[in-house]
Amino acid sequence: MKIVSLIKKNKLIFLVALTYITVLTISPDKAMASVKNSVYYLIEMVQVLPVIFLFTVVIEALVPKEMIMRGFGEKSGFKGNLLALLLGSISAGPIYAAFPISKTLLGKGASISNIVIILSAWAVIKVPMLANEAKFLGVNFMIVRWVLTVIAIFVMAYITGMIVKKKDLPIDLNKTKMLEIKDDYCIGCGLCVKMLPEYYEMNNDKAAVIKTPEGKEVLQGIQETVEKCPSKAIILNKGAQAS
Amino acid sequence: MDIFTIVFWTIAILLTVISLIKDKKKTFAAMKKSKGMMGNMLGEIIAIIFIIGLVLTFIPPETIKSVLGSANTFVATFVSALAGSITLIPAFVAFPLVGSLVKVGASIVPAVAFLTTLTMVGIVTFPLEKKEFGTKFALTRNVLSFGFAIVIALTMGVIL
Repeated sequence: MKIVSLIKKNKLIFLVALTYITVLTISPDKAMASVKNSVYYLIEMVQVLPVIFLFTVVIEALVPKEMIMRGFGEKSGFKGNLLALLLGSISAGPIYAAFPISKTLLGKGASISNIVIILSAWAVIKVPMLANEAKFLGVNFMIVRWVLTVIAIFVMAYITGMIVKKKDLPIDLNKTKMLEIKDDYCIGCGLCVKMLPEYYEMNNDKAAVIKTPEGKEVLQGIQETVEKCPSKAIILNKGAQAS
Repeated sequence: MDIFTIVFWTIAILLTVISLIKDKKKTFAAMKKSKGMMGNMLGEIIAIIFIIGLVLTFIPPETIKSVLGSANTFVATFVSALAGSITLIPAFVAFPLVGSLVKVGASIVPAVAFLTTLTMVGIVTFPLEKKEFGTKFALTRNVLSFGFAIVIALTMGVIL
């Protein structure tokens, strides 16, 4: 049983290992060549990932949540988009290096549109790459492709923001939420909104949390709404950190 | 290490030291959290890197070159965009490769499609993206990127 769960947890690694073993038995040369090709990327990973680790730590520890929300949140507007573009453009490393940073920013309140901008800009726009492109394909080519790409990134960000909502993201991004309402259970009676309008609001006939509660007195009030809710749709995670 | 990576190392270390001075406890808590998150990703990233190695062996740059230079521009554009989505070749290989093709007179439309999907669409990194951001996010982003790569390519064909 233990082995099964181990394989399930690391599906991709086992799949890749299996493929390599297969290739090795059929054509050892090709397997060796593949390993050799991978080395370049492994070196790149070793050079970039520790930096990414440090950056996620610094964002988590130093940058207040309000700042991220103001800079990259739902209401940050076009200025937030430009900031996201800048952040993605000055980055280093391949696109997977952008995942941990984006996840940390998402957890601190960045909007989905801005995450798309960061990921895309991270992948496509890099100063050393632009220089390389201008050298081999001409300055005109580089500039036109850059302008078109930036426009495309913005349009993509808006479309993705419309299609994908925060609730579509994996649960572990949302688990730090202290207070949440199970949409499937909420019957839209509005009782919680009446009790604590500061923390709840009605949204499409369902109650929604608008503010993270802090402080003991507030929590007591929240606890009351949890108990009064007729469909028990309000969940208060006392263990979750408010930060 | 190129100069950019070195600059990033310096900035990262500097900021971490500042963070440690400002709030030691919070920084260590953040380290623990990040360690958990990145530890979960590390195995997959290594797996992805070895997939890239395999793909490069079975679809070498020479093959891509023949696809990019094929006669039918419309088919070539689509196939090039597809090739860019699957492969992940380093930029310093991709630009000279595409540059040499354009110089001998190949259409730039497939070339641009290839260059754009190469970095923006990641079939190989898709499993990781899906795990970290959810299927809907990963699918939407990659499909849109593929579509826009072709739009960018066609537009460039008209402009240049």
